[in-house]
Amino acid sequence: MSSVKFSCLFLLLLLLSACGEIADDLTPSDTDQRPTFETGTTGGGVGQNAPPFTVMDINNTVIDLPTALAGNRGIVLYFTMWCPVCDGHMSHALAYVMPNFPDVRFFAVDYLAGSVLLAKEAASNAGYLNSGFTILADVNRQLARDYNATMGTTIVIDSSGVVRMNEDYRNGVRLQTTLSALP
Amino acid sequence: MRILLFVSGFAALLAGAALFTPTPVRAASCCGGGTAIGLVVPKFARAVTDLSADLEIYDGYWNQKKEYTSDPPKSDLRQYRLNLGYGRRFGQKWQGGATLPYVWNENNYSGLKTSSQGLGDASLFLWYDLLEERQLWLATGAEVLIPTVTIGTSLLLPTGISPYDSEESSFDVTGRGFYRLDGNLLIDKTIKAWNTSLTLGYGTYFERSVNREYGKAVAPYHKKLGDRLSASASLGYRYFVGTGGDNLTGTIGYAYLTEAEAEIDGISDRNSSFSKQSFSGTLAYSSTDSDWSVRGAWSHALKKDGWGENFPVTDIYTLGVRYVFR
Repeated sequence: MSSVKFSCLFLLLLLLSACGEIADDLTPSDTDQRPTFETGTTGGGVGQNAPPFTVMDINNTVIDLPTALAGNRGIVLYFTMWCPVCDGHMSHALAYVMPNFPDVRFFAVDYLAGSVLLAKEAASNAGYLNSGFTILADVNRQLARDYNATMGTTIVIDSSGVVRMNEDYRNGVRLQTTLSALP
Repeated sequence: MRILLFVSGFAALLAGAALFTPTPVRAASCCGGGTAIGLVVPKFARAVTDLSADLEIYDGYWNQKKEYTSDPPKSDLRQYRLNLGYGRRFGQKWQGGATLPYVWNENNYSGLKTSSQGLGDASLFLWYDLLEERQLWLATGAEVLIPTVTIGTSLLLPTGISPYDSEESSFDVTGRGFYRLDGNLLIDKTIKAWNTSLTLGYGTYFERSVNREYGKAVAPYHKKLGDRLSASASLGYRYFVGTGGDNLTGTIGYAYLTEAEAEIDGISDRNSSFSKQSFSGTLAYSSTDSDWSVRGAWSHALKKDGWGENFPVTDIYTLGVRYVFR
């Protein structure tokens, strides 16, 4: 009888855990659920016109989208919270991606920065103060909201201001493929 | 996220069960959460149940160069976990059970406060008593050296909130999102008031498809996390309290954990491997009949270069209570 109770308890737990979004992990799907966007619309989706932004970098320089794109084939926005995962991605980009794309500008967006000063201190702690990244202090989380970004999100915008990639950095392969395909 | 860091051999045995204190693997809200504990039912008991509460405080991380790096200023990252475990014997030598954590993430990151909660990753486990040590007064010759050896397997279930669910923030993560099958070995030896234990675990994740990252639909791909190795050793001493048989056990432990590189569509992800070393101390009080026991534990990782790689540095404080059914 005890075994029956034990089994029932397990089944109940599994059923509970299968509720809602958790089922996404218990039975993962491989269907492509990406939405399609109309040409010319503005948003963070791939194929959309990149939302305009104006933020300060950690040297108190104002950076907006046209300024960022000027003279480059494109830009990369990497969203960081200075965690080990972020450090892994950023160090990989520094070592293996940036050298291959000198005409692309790389920005690290501190999307949790309380202020420009705190963003600078965090970048210094993590050892990225004078790296190949320009550090942006997204104090009002404008970039994170407009681009639907979180830790590790990597966005590529081409020189015409169109979003070419918006997903996690993963192992950097997709980023390199996207950058290679920039016009 | 999440692995077995076994630290408390002696105290658990005294209470009639070996309790495996968990350590989170990428338990930070930045990196996934959830816990896994395993219970070993004592030889002459029918079942064991365990309830414990963890407080894990994050304080920096080791980067890819194994250098300790502090968190951004004004950061306070905490994870609270309530772990429920149950195990029971199915025969003379076989036993099985499950553990289920519930996780609360409380983060203050550079002034941004977030709070979330949800189930962590559950575990199912199966143990087999391979070898049993003889009581000292019954053993003769080399028999006194024979330890208790238990082997087993466990299955981690992705019941937590993972980066591949519909949750949009990395702060909401409570699980890793992958099934994992582990093979586990527990060696335990008690001589008079002293006890020592060694545990080894090796796990492999199952590949899965991913079509969402933090709620955002992405081009589908396949991902497999790297194989995981965990090892720990502990040394404990039992002290009888008064004349009634109640006892207090102190245990110190060392644990090592590493995970190999993940693969994405068959290509290695060199950013994903990690390792961690930690030390622990456990104090357990058990009743005369050892049916009830309570414990407090502290797991500490050194904030120094070389003691980990690509992993958060944390302190874990645990309070737990356990009951053995005879």
